[in-house]
This record gives sequence, C-alpha cells and structure tokens, in this order.
Amino acid sequence: MKELVEYIAKSLVDDPSQVRVTEVDEGASTILELEVAQEDMGRVIGKNGRVANAMRVLVRVLAAKQGKRITLEII
Amino acid sequence: MSETRSVETSASDIETAIEQGLKELGVARESVIVEILEEPSRGLLGIGARPARIRLTTAAPARPASAPESAPAPAKPAPAKPKPKPAPAPPPADSQPAAAEDEEDIDLPAPVSESDMDEDARVGLATLEELLAKMQVEAEVVVYRAPEAADNDSPWVLQIRGRDLGVLIGRRGETLASLQYITRLIASRELQRRANIVLDVEGYKSRREQILRRLAKRMADQAIQLGRTVTLEPMPPYERRIVHLALRDHPEVTTESVGEGEHRKVTIIPRRR
Repeated sequence: MKELVEYIAKSLVDDPSQVRVTEVDEGASTILELEVAQEDMGRVIGKNGRVANAMRVLVRVLAAKQGKRITLEII
Repeated sequence: MSETRSVETSASDIETAIEQGLKELGVARESVIVEILEEPSRGLLGIGARPARIRLTTAAPARPASAPESAPAPAKPAPAKPKPKPAPAPPPADSQPAAAEDEEDIDLPAPVSESDMDEDARVGLATLEELLAKMQVEAEVVVYRAPEAADNDSPWVLQIRGRDLGVLIGRRGETLASLQYITRLIASRELQRRANIVLDVEGYKSRREQILRRLAKRMADQAIQLGRTVTLEPMPPYERRIVHLALRDHPEVTTESVGEGEHRKVTIIPRRR
C-alpha cells in the first residue's frame, strides 16, 4: 500500500535515499507516514500543499479498492 | 416592471427539474425563463454522476415569455420517452458508459506506436503506467497527439482505457486532475522541462468538453435574451477555459471568471451596443 506514495515521493525529491514510508495500522484505517529529507519537504508538499493533496487523492483510490481508510501524513 | 422571482432546482433530468421549479414558483411554464446551470451526467458507472441543475426566473411581463425559453427547452425532449435519458444529445459520446468498451464508443484518434513517440510521450507513458500499477488499477494507456490541429506542438494525450475506471475520474474529475498533476510533475522532473502531456480516462474530458461547449452557447443566448449577466456553476480551471474559448469570438457576449478557488465560476456578459 505504501509503494504508491514511495514511488511518487522518490520521483520528486533530490535525495530518494531518505524517503521512508511507514504504515501504521489502526484497524479499519491506516496511516501512511511519509518522511523525506528536510530540504525535500517542499517538493512533496508543494505550493499550498498541492502535491500532498494530489497524493492524498490518489491514495484514496487505493483505499477504496481495499475498503479501507488511508490517511497520508508528512512528518 | 414587476419584480422577478427565481428558484434553483435539481433532478435527474432537465424536464423534471423544470417541473419542480414551476411547482415551487406556482407559475406556468410560459412565464419563466429557464437557465440550465448544469447538464445531467450519469458519469461512468454511476461514479461522477451529476443531476441536472436549472434556474427558473419569472419573466418580466413586458418580455415575450416564450421566446427566451425556446432556446434551452428543445435540448431535452425527455417527456417523449418513458425513461429519463440522463445524457443529452450526441449519443456516440455520452450514452456509452465504460462497459460498452468494445463497441464504437468514443471517437479517438489513432494511437501512436512507441517508436513514433517523442521523449515527452515516452516518459509520460512510463510514469503513468507505473502510477497505475501502484494504484492497483488495471488499465491500458493509448497515446496520440491531441487533434487540436493548431500546430505540431499540441500535447500528447495519454488516454486511459479499461473497465471500472470511474474511480480514476472522481467527483468533478478531481482524481483525474490529481493523476495528471502528479504524472506531469514526475515526467517533467525527469525531462527537466515541462512535459507536454495531458491525461484522459475513457474520453471523459472530450465528452465533458462537448457538453460545456453546448452549455456555453446556450447560456450566451440566455444572457443576450435576458440582457444581463448569466453565471455558471463553479468549475475547475480546465473547464472554465473551455467555456471562455467557446465564446471567445462570440459577437454579442464576453466572459469573465469570478470568485476564488473552488467557487470560481464563469460569467457571461452581454456586450453593450
């Protein structure tokens, strides 16, 4: 489930080696925690959070397929 | 001039919405002006389905009430048919849900083979296929040049085809917009310049474009007949652009977007003579 976010993040940052996605399972819902290098935060968030929001929309497609709630947090 | 009253209603088809509105206003059909705010659409497989939305305004007595109405009314010959037809006129585009895939559904230009693609198309395609796989969406992507004919700089269209792709469109095309945004972002980063690509799902955008062009023309007629500004529903930027372009060369109206963010909408303004 985290592969999607991982792929997007790694494709957008300068330092892919520091991209980490952790799945935190909470029963019916899952939290995806995305970590990137400090300098790359802007790239995965985007202006006005545009990149982050687009990622959330795509994650929702995956969540719907699995009948789950998935939230994406950038930490 | 007596005061005018107006009401907005929505229903699965335009005729029903009009009837509801007439009931609410308690007036006869001849005495109102019908504005179609949004044409109904059943979306793909029920996802992204939208009801028809209309506004009724009681006509000023001086005005010949039947004239303004004549423009939008014929668009919806619903009462003639027993079942409300969710999709308006051109059947080849709109009446075909995703399921009817193998029949002649949407009129798409011939796809281009990988060897005829340039770097933008190739990188875009690879990126999109990767994203779809990670989203666990089974679909095929065909690539062709947008038939804009304007110049050979027209964008590559990455047309996603397959079953049950309503999820890739989302409400008001929100998911498709996000998918396009991310795909372009990744491809542009790899290309180190703006990737000249657009995405579509089962011809959604082309169909939407047709609907919007018709809507634009009809609302322009309304604006002229009413002699005042007509405001459309809020739309995403891409759709507003279609409306602006559709009326760009209209001799009798101008268009302008008003409002912020998600509430931004096109207004159609009659030109002063």
